[in-house]
Amino acid sequence: MSTEALPQKPTDPVTPHVPGVDDSATPRSPRGDTGRGRNLALGLWTALALTFLLAPILFMIVFSFNDNQGRFNFEWQGFTLKHWGDPFQNPDLAKALQNSLSIAVLTTIAATMLGTLLAIALVRHRFRGRTSADFFVFLPMASPEVVMGASLLAMFLVLGIGTGYVTILLAHIMFSISYVVVTVKSRLEGMDPHIEEAARDLGANEVTTFFRVTLPMIAPGVAAAAVLAFALSIDDYVITSFNAGQTQTFPLFIFGATRQGVPPQVNVLSTMLLVLVLLLMLGNVLLQRRLAKRDRISQAG
Amino acid sequence: MREDRARAERALEESLETAFAQRSSRRSFVGRSAGAMLLAGGLGSFLSACGITGTATKNVEALRAEAERVNHPKVPIGNWVFANWPLYMDKSVLKDFDREFGGKVKYVEEINDNNEFFGKVRQQLTQGRNIGRDIVVLTDPMAAKWVRSGFVSPYDKKNVPNAKNLVPNLQSIGYDPERQFTLPFQSGAVSLGYDIRATGGEIKSIKELFNPKYKGKTTMLTEPYDSASTVLIMQGKDPAKATLDDMLGAIEYIAEQNEKGQFRRFTGNDFTTDLTKGNVAIVLAYSGDMVQLQADNPNLRFAYAEEGCITFTDNLMLPAKVAHPYAAETMMNFLYEPEIAAKLCAYINYISPVDGIRPILEKSDPEIAENELIFPPDDVRKRLKLYPSLSTSEEQTMYEAMAKVTGG
Amino acid sequence: MSLSLRRKMIPWWFAAPGLVWLIVFFAVPIFNQISVSLMSGDPEVGFELTWSFSTYADAVRDYHTQFLRSIGYAGLATIIDLIIAFPLAYFIAYKAGRFKGLLLLLVILPFFVSQVMRTASWQLILNDQGWAVARMQDLGIVSDGGQFLATGKAVVFGIAYNFLPFMVLPLYATLDRIDRRLIEAASDLYCSRFTAFRKVTLPLAVPGIFAGSLLVFIPACGDYINSSILGSSNTTMIGNVIQSKFLNVLDYPSAAALSFILMGVILLGIALYGRVLGTKNLTELAG
Repeated sequence: MSTEALPQKPTDPVTPHVPGVDDSATPRSPRGDTGRGRNLALGLWTALALTFLLAPILFMIVFSFNDNQGRFNFEWQGFTLKHWGDPFQNPDLAKALQNSLSIAVLTTIAATMLGTLLAIALVRHRFRGRTSADFFVFLPMASPEVVMGASLLAMFLVLGIGTGYVTILLAHIMFSISYVVVTVKSRLEGMDPHIEEAARDLGANEVTTFFRVTLPMIAPGVAAAAVLAFALSIDDYVITSFNAGQTQTFPLFIFGATRQGVPPQVNVLSTMLLVLVLLLMLGNVLLQRRLAKRDRISQAG
Repeated sequence: MREDRARAERALEESLETAFAQRSSRRSFVGRSAGAMLLAGGLGSFLSACGITGTATKNVEALRAEAERVNHPKVPIGNWVFANWPLYMDKSVLKDFDREFGGKVKYVEEINDNNEFFGKVRQQLTQGRNIGRDIVVLTDPMAAKWVRSGFVSPYDKKNVPNAKNLVPNLQSIGYDPERQFTLPFQSGAVSLGYDIRATGGEIKSIKELFNPKYKGKTTMLTEPYDSASTVLIMQGKDPAKATLDDMLGAIEYIAEQNEKGQFRRFTGNDFTTDLTKGNVAIVLAYSGDMVQLQADNPNLRFAYAEEGCITFTDNLMLPAKVAHPYAAETMMNFLYEPEIAAKLCAYINYISPVDGIRPILEKSDPEIAENELIFPPDDVRKRLKLYPSLSTSEEQTMYEAMAKVTGG
Repeated sequence: MSLSLRRKMIPWWFAAPGLVWLIVFFAVPIFNQISVSLMSGDPEVGFELTWSFSTYADAVRDYHTQFLRSIGYAGLATIIDLIIAFPLAYFIAYKAGRFKGLLLLLVILPFFVSQVMRTASWQLILNDQGWAVARMQDLGIVSDGGQFLATGKAVVFGIAYNFLPFMVLPLYATLDRIDRRLIEAASDLYCSRFTAFRKVTLPLAVPGIFAGSLLVFIPACGDYINSSILGSSNTTMIGNVIQSKFLNVLDYPSAAALSFILMGVILLGIALYGRVLGTKNLTELAG
């Protein structure tokens, strides 16, 4: 029986040689055949699902090279690099992208700060009202965007506050906080609170403990939360559309353009944005890898 | 490491579960949250004691009087704001303007929909505040609403001498008989767009849109001013004289056809996708979009329906309490120079309201000059019809009726 | 201030900024909606609080179809996503080996391209004459007429597409966390991997299924982008109605009432769902 269980071995992440799909090529046990069939089916399913996820993105990238003649970019007319040569040709598009980027950066900073502090309070401290606070923080994630967008606009209307850049920012920070809290919280929950207690026992005050112990430990969670906040903010259409006023953001520009004809520059800029994010992530991975290596060396030495 | 990325993503979800898994054991949260919620609720109701102010501000007579004495002295142009629809401007025209007159125009393509735009600035307008734009471009019915509600500023005709180039048939319009508040920017027609491969021949009548032969192969415009008016034209009525009941009747007809599955869907300018991709055969279309579509696909045609068709005009207007009237008027004047208007026309392909640009285009861009969508022939011009004029509450009723049909 | 009191205040110093932000820009607006929904008037004269509860009755009478449709579409999309995501998450968690990170990256990649852009791309890909629709005809998903866009199917498709990563990630997270020795032990005991899957893996994955379903279902209920780009007048969802009433028709009271009802229905749904799945899950974990 134990030999029959063997085919499961390769799924163990500790085993170094597990090349995923390719793995199914080598049968290893009497049950290898069914195992291989199952793995193949799973792999195929995965490939199909990923194709489904990525198809429109690929389509978008391809059409950034379309040599379209009129205002519309619907039909393949031939290959050209002309849109890539002049992606900021439309100043409004450039302005919209700039707004989106600056709103996303400010949102990331503010929401990450507010959310991280809130998460620490919720996990590390027992205080009256903590349970309700916990549930309350979760509520924005359980609300459809259209409800949040509409209710914010209704409030601004009643108060007579004009909508624009600032109201977009207020709204984006609002809906990002919960996601930050949730992300940081789970990191904190997986951490041993005794380390902080030890720090305090050793005489560190709350502030020192926070900056020297808690923060470094939760840093990966905070970084993940920041990425999430950035992604949420830069792609938000619904809530922004209610509260944008005169301010144009990238998603708003695109939605407007879907009705008027999306200019290929949108494809170009979207692709550039994607590549930028990928490069940032790659940089992060390389950095972490190097840090990990240094740690190993210093530990060994 | 990549694993870190994975772990990061996992973090979000993990705690979501924990939040939930624990939730069922936390009954007490209801009681505790109640206090906080009451507090928020109290604040909320306090807020709404203020109500939401309405739009009616000053009557048209007061506005006319203002127009009589309007005087905007010449000042440096400075920084000012021009709000327009997307892809509705040759940007080099703006650069030329800045170079010639100084200052800096902030050009924002923020108007995707008249009503949506109105929703954005309503609050400031009703409170009699400046909306931060010096020129806005609005389509006839919305322009009429702004004039009616006093949301506009008159422009100083002394600063817009080129307004004399306005084509004769647009020099007066119901809601602004002397063009004191509005100046046409571009016009277009609402009529039949089709794919000749799908129809197998030319299409001439609006009736074809409702021909069972094309069931599910047509699209209808969401905007009732366009779609219901077109139905009225088909029925032999003049939309300009239509009452609310006429419009509601036409909407009713559209609803019946929709229930039969005649229309694939209701669209704004996005009829373009369905037509280009061959999803539909005939659409109710805006002429300017059709010119653009033909650039990629010569099988797409536009027909001015034989029964007649709606012509719409997008108007340059100065909003109430406008901050830089002189800059705005200088731009209006600039746009009415035939050379500039010709350049603009060659770029955006709508019907220009400026007289005398055709000879210019015949030299520079003969293809455009020959295009019937941009320069409708005389017999077509005779068939062009105007929108009905409805009061705000009638308009509201009409939009609500149409929203029921389109499902929005 | 005594030291112990200062200690007591610390969590509040940490929590207050975030909580205040959420109260001012989330809770107050939601409650403000109630009062807006009880106003009456028109855009010309303005709206005043008149406690007109009839708005709610009218809203339910006129738009129950859109409500039901939203819930139906969102539910269908959630099920489709579960079917697509479970094997995908399973593969990434157990079979992907060193490609795990890469595959996860591919799953979250769509987050970095605007949703509107991706949906608009589908609109072009899924045209009636296109390759994709022809394949769907072969599979019998689309009838011989060859129309996919502007149908309910297309809207469900779009929603399922847009929210798929939200299903994959929590599923992956739970599957990845399961102690693999448990599964191995189980397959030793039960002899059949299917039984092991059914008796061990699946129950342990319930929290992930729960979280994923909510993360898909809730935003899907209020979605209007998919319906407005891929659908028709027969596929309008409640989000479209709220959006149009708020931004186009300017009927603020009805819009506020609809949005408040939507919020209520969803919270109620979560509570029920949580009670059924959540408690069961808890007892099972404890047992």
